[in-house]
Amino acid sequence: MEPALGSYLALSGILFSIGAVGVIYKRNAIGMFMCIELMLNSVNLSFVAFSRHYGDVTGQLFVFVVMSVAAAEAAVGLGIIITFFRNRLSVDVDDASILKN
Amino acid sequence: MTEFSLLDYAPVLVMFLVAIGFAASQILVAQLVGPRKRTATKLMPYECGKDPVGSARDRFSVKFYMVAVAFLLFDLEILFVIPFAVAFKSLLAAEQSGTVYYGTIAFVTMMFFLGTVVVGLLYEWKKGAFDWSIQARAEAIAEAAELKRKGGVFSRFRKAA
Amino acid sequence: MMNIFLAELADPNVSIPLVLPEMLLALTGILVMIYDSIRPGRRRVTGTISMVGLILSAVALFWIWSTPGQQLSAFGGMIVADSLRMSFTAVFLLVSALTILVSTVWVEREDVHAGEYHTLLLFATVGMMFMASGNDLVIIFLGLETLSIATYVMAGLRRRDLRSNESALKYFILGSYASGFLLYGMALVYGATGTTNVTQIALNTETAQFPALLLVGAAMLVIGFGFKVATVPFHIWTPDVYEGAPSPVTGFMAAGPKAAGFASFLRVFVLGFPLVVGVQASEFLHDSWITALTVMAILTMTVGNIAAIVQNNVKRMLAYSSIAHAGYAMVGFVGAGVAKTATGRDDAIAAVAFYMLTYAVTNLGAFAIVTLVARKNDRRTEFEDYNGIGFRSPVLAFSLSLFMLSLLGLPLTAGFIGKVLVFRPALEAGTSLMVILVVIAVINTAISAYYYLRLIVVMFFRERTEEWSQPKISTALAAVLAITIIGVFYFGIFGNNVIEMFSKYPVDVQMR
Repeated sequence: MEPALGSYLALSGILFSIGAVGVIYKRNAIGMFMCIELMLNSVNLSFVAFSRHYGDVTGQLFVFVVMSVAAAEAAVGLGIIITFFRNRLSVDVDDASILKN
Repeated sequence: MTEFSLLDYAPVLVMFLVAIGFAASQILVAQLVGPRKRTATKLMPYECGKDPVGSARDRFSVKFYMVAVAFLLFDLEILFVIPFAVAFKSLLAAEQSGTVYYGTIAFVTMMFFLGTVVVGLLYEWKKGAFDWSIQARAEAIAEAAELKRKGGVFSRFRKAA
Repeated sequence: MMNIFLAELADPNVSIPLVLPEMLLALTGILVMIYDSIRPGRRRVTGTISMVGLILSAVALFWIWSTPGQQLSAFGGMIVADSLRMSFTAVFLLVSALTILVSTVWVEREDVHAGEYHTLLLFATVGMMFMASGNDLVIIFLGLETLSIATYVMAGLRRRDLRSNESALKYFILGSYASGFLLYGMALVYGATGTTNVTQIALNTETAQFPALLLVGAAMLVIGFGFKVATVPFHIWTPDVYEGAPSPVTGFMAAGPKAAGFASFLRVFVLGFPLVVGVQASEFLHDSWITALTVMAILTMTVGNIAAIVQNNVKRMLAYSSIAHAGYAMVGFVGAGVAKTATGRDDAIAAVAFYMLTYAVTNLGAFAIVTLVARKNDRRTEFEDYNGIGFRSPVLAFSLSLFMLSLLGLPLTAGFIGKVLVFRPALEAGTSLMVILVVIAVINTAISAYYYLRLIVVMFFRERTEEWSQPKISTALAAVLAITIIGVFYFGIFGNNVIEMFSKYPVDVQMR
């Protein structure tokens, strides 16, 4: 007996919420970025669950795309965080405060 | 459900053997062919490039990040190759029975994709992303020459080399 | 063999010719990248190759546009060739070409690694083009991320400048956060309808297995797209990112990605969630998103304009002005949503595309001058830095004034026709909500006069206390100014020709 669609969706929703709240709550750029990755991967879980529910491979195809996009985003994102760190010696987003009124 | 037979898992065993064989052969070849320049850094206990003694809260070189990102990106390419490899046989079969050349299209597309990946690799290479450090290499060579000249603490290793 | 191969490329399920503009540009991007790695630091060569690529892509686009009897879709319905795609793609190509010309000055002044910059710009453009041509959530997401990832890097190109770092970091974190919401929305829409094809989604709404998921998914999509086009309340990132990014990149971000966001926003909502009379789920969904977007449009215009009034930095002022303009464009968007006939809807879509075109031309012209005045490291971007330059650099001052008047929407300029066209469909719908929307939009236009005219006043009627050295206008920049000034007048006077072109291929989705 495999779990019903609902339980996958619930898990995916919980993980997404943890990620979404984490981004707001965290002050460390790397931590925020990890939360974003958590959000993307929880969506992947939804896609796979729906894909299985409908017996349609489009959902799995979407997951491939999301995974490669997430990798590219990780590469660029960590690069940006590192340049920020080099100039600021900190990855705390509260230090990113020059641009304000 | 068909009957369980251990023989069905034979390919997994073969896979394990190949993996072990590959690892062993790499170590062996490195031992036989690799150049030996003994420096203090190289004789340290191996800990993935970090100092084995000292604070663990240390920052480590940005070069690790470069390697990790290159690995991540090229590793993901397999994500697109595997579905192609799985579907290719049936696409070829469809091509033989029908009028649409799905097999050829898939093949050309995949070659194009791999070509793009190779271009990305060449770009990284040209940009020097795989060059650990020209400076560090020069230092290592100089240090090895120095040690060789002096004999010093590492002289007992020289016999083995 | 060759014949078979060619036949395959034209196969209805593949149809390479239909993605020729995108492919040519992507290949140019790769070419620039390789050239730059072999011979680094040749700005002019990489710039020229990029321009040639953009022109080739434009030729391919107009070939598809002007050849009758083209297929309407390719790759199994993932790519479409309708006027929504064509018109927006033309806008992107123009934006990209102008950005390359504008940035020549900046690239030389700051010694930017131009090869990388041009590559990123081309890839971003490819992403935008796929956002407009994709008729499938997968392609739209892929295009959006290609665009976003390239723009994150472009925002942070001045690696040693803290403002630029900060801009890139904020854009990256908030951008990927919004992408996460967008993606979740896509997953829920897929889950509710069982398909990712936009045309199919519209057909499946009546048989949706989980109507509640569809509604939540649509809400998430509003968040995601709302961020990309910078609408209130998802606009907080805009001023900081626009101020910190290098001026030419800011101009690009305000014109290109915003238009691209609108292209796919329009496609997913107007074509994917249409009103189907008699189907309760669809009626409810349509009603909800129209109301939500109307409220967003009102907030966006009002907050954008009021915040722009109090700014002392020209780039920040233009950032808030871009938020306000997203609000005006959304009036046309909502108009497309409430249109009762397919022609009305297509006209409204063409109007939004035309609006983005006029905004792009005007805005890039303005940013060309901001780049020129700002000098190295974007130092002079405050209002004070424009004090009294009016009669000392008349060319700059008069063209900047023209762009401000066009942004304001003065008759005879492009902005005026753009505004009239986007307000019309909403008025034609005639419901009280739409009338209120248009009235607020008009009031907002009046409010915006304050800060646009303020810049003109500052330039012509303030005493200059500091030294003013006349910046040299290079050939490339002169070309940009010529194109944008001619554009502002041409679109303002002969806008009809463009609109006709923009609604040549009706969208292949019938109203029900």
